Amino acid sequence: MAAVTLKNVVKRFGVFEIVHGANIDVNDGEFVVFVGPSGCGKSTLLRMIAGLEDISGGEIAIAGKVVNNVEPADRGIAMVFQSYALYPHMSVEQNLSFGLRMNGNPKADTERRVKRAAEILRIAELMKRRPRQLSGGQRQRVAIGRAIVREPQVFLFDEPLSNLDAELRVQMRVEISRLHKELGVTMIYVTHDQTEAMTLADRIVVLNAGNIEQIGAPLDLYDDPANRFVAGFVGSPKMNFMAAKVVGNDGAVTVELANHCGAKLRKPLSGAAPAVGTEVVLGVRPEHFFEAGEGDCDIAVKADVAEHLGSVSYVYANAGPEELIIEREASRQRANGDHMAVSIKADRSLLFDKSGARIR
Amino acid sequence: MRYQNATAYRFLAPYLLIFSIFWLWPIISSFLISFQATRTVPWRFAPTFNWGRLIGDPAFFNALKNTLLILVIQVPVMITLAIVMAVLLNSPLLKARGLFRFAFFAPVVVGEVAYSAVFRLMFNLDYGIINKLLNSVGLPRIDWFSNVTPAMAVIMIAVTWRWAGYNAIILLAGLQSIPQDVYEAATLDRVSKLKQFFYITLPLLKPIIVFCAVLSIIGTMQLFTEPFLITERGGPGGGTETLGLLLYRQGFRSLNFGYASAIAYTMAGLAIAISLVQLWLTREPK
Ligand SMILES: Nc1ncnc2c1ncn2[C@@H]1O[C@H](COP(=O)(O)OP(=O)(O)OP(=O)(O)O)[C@@H](O)[C@H]1O
Ligand SMILES: [Mg+2]
Repeated sequence: MAAVTLKNVVKRFGVFEIVHGANIDVNDGEFVVFVGPSGCGKSTLLRMIAGLEDISGGEIAIAGKVVNNVEPADRGIAMVFQSYALYPHMSVEQNLSFGLRMNGNPKADTERRVKRAAEILRIAELMKRRPRQLSGGQRQRVAIGRAIVREPQVFLFDEPLSNLDAELRVQMRVEISRLHKELGVTMIYVTHDQTEAMTLADRIVVLNAGNIEQIGAPLDLYDDPANRFVAGFVGSPKMNFMAAKVVGNDGAVTVELANHCGAKLRKPLSGAAPAVGTEVVLGVRPEHFFEAGEGDCDIAVKADVAEHLGSVSYVYANAGPEELIIEREASRQRANGDHMAVSIKADRSLLFDKSGARIR
Repeated sequence: MRYQNATAYRFLAPYLLIFSIFWLWPIISSFLISFQATRTVPWRFAPTFNWGRLIGDPAFFNALKNTLLILVIQVPVMITLAIVMAVLLNSPLLKARGLFRFAFFAPVVVGEVAYSAVFRLMFNLDYGIINKLLNSVGLPRIDWFSNVTPAMAVIMIAVTWRWAGYNAIILLAGLQSIPQDVYEAATLDRVSKLKQFFYITLPLLKPIIVFCAVLSIIGTMQLFTEPFLITERGGPGGGTETLGLLLYRQGFRSLNFGYASAIAYTMAGLAIAISLVQLWLTREPK
């Protein structure tokens, strides 16, 4: 078992800097998820930890040892690829044992490890099959099995579930969670799916365009995002952002919502309040709209479309140029074109400045 | 459906017509001719005339021996060389990849006569570059075209030079279809580059290698140009005469079409048989 430390890690491809100085501390036994939109550098970061990409700057340490110049195989890591990367010409059993056999591991020990991995992943009955005779979920299991037999200190997963259908994804998510509990080893997991990140992670690293936006426990990111990007990325459906202007500054700040007939919200702040006249953005999660009169500021909206999911409904309301998503307890009557009033609470909304930074 | 099939056949008709006249009919016709005595006028049906002669003809067995000898030495050497060339072409370290790819492929498009003339010059006893090179490193000159073994060597070298690059390009396409992450997984499994080649690249490339081998076997069974032009009609003294050359000699010099047809069918039969054995030996284990 091992901690993984990234210190000012930089990655350049030619003249393009892809990762701009990442600092991450992954504790021993922790499950850390790298999450961010496509192309933000998650895979690159993971591949640098694995040793499949050179490190252009900074330091990566595994179990306290700097591994910048250590061969991938000597880093004590195992990686599960998005495409599974199984050896197509080998049976499941051979896939699992290949690395060990090639390194002259004692036969009995290899067999023991393969058997254990097969039991953990419940693939014992597939051992004689070739990868192409397996379903996507089974292939994924074999790929994870191949990582398990190496008995690594750190597991690296690069979007392991993105090729599976929704139902299987949920099932494998639970299995990976169980695996983490069973093995108790450090796991670093890359995904662009914030739901996967929220459900699996001890801590989440939110990446955007090669920068780390925030590192924190899932609910901390949800409750207390550092900036507008994190606020928008974490939580589903996305947080609503409404243009607003500071109109009062008397210990608490009072903002006027530009697109809601001048509705005003008074919100106490812990830091310095921005000057009157400053343009700001108010963020409210879909689930934080209350019945009219229950909050600190009521707004009227016109419902365009309602999605009824059974337990809840999402109302897409178009108020001027800003579309709002409002979560309501399922009520079947709500028809398109309805006018409705909802209420915002000061302590259930977040304030951001124009650049996206949080105003606390 | 019926109607569509009929339409399809109408479109195919011109091709099928030409195919029947210029391919199918000669194939059938030569099979029939092989059962006829063709040096009497008129030809007469004599089923054992040509085939009987074949079984007892030293010239046929000489040609068969030469052809098979070239086959068992040249084909494996060339395929091995082609694999090495393909791996080098595929290496990320290689600069000017396009140039090399063209250079390897170029021999196929060079005219046969020109290339044969160049080979004759290169292996010339007195002023050929090969003998000059041998001399310069202190080895004796070799009289390439007067002795059977060196003459056979020249044929094999020439054929290999001409077709190795062609096979390398086919193999390169196979190499490029192997996903990169499989190698990355092997690297993480601490499998050395060399072992990756033997345990991953070769097995995954096997179908393409078999394909190249079968193509080469068929090609070599029909070998004609090199012994005809480079060693001057299978010289010295029939030492490099191949089945293709024997066929030509019988068919177009002696005008013995019956016997030539029997030889042609033997060549085709052997090529099919050897290819089938090859396919069977390298079949996927079920
Ligand atoms: N070999 C390479 N050469 C040049 N640029 C590269 C290379 N590999 C990746 N990049 C660039 O680096 C950036 C980050 O790529 P990376 O694969 O890490 O993204 P990602 O966050 O994993 O995205 P995704 O969710 O789509 O997998 C991208 O802009 C990509 O174009
Ligand atoms: Mg990626």
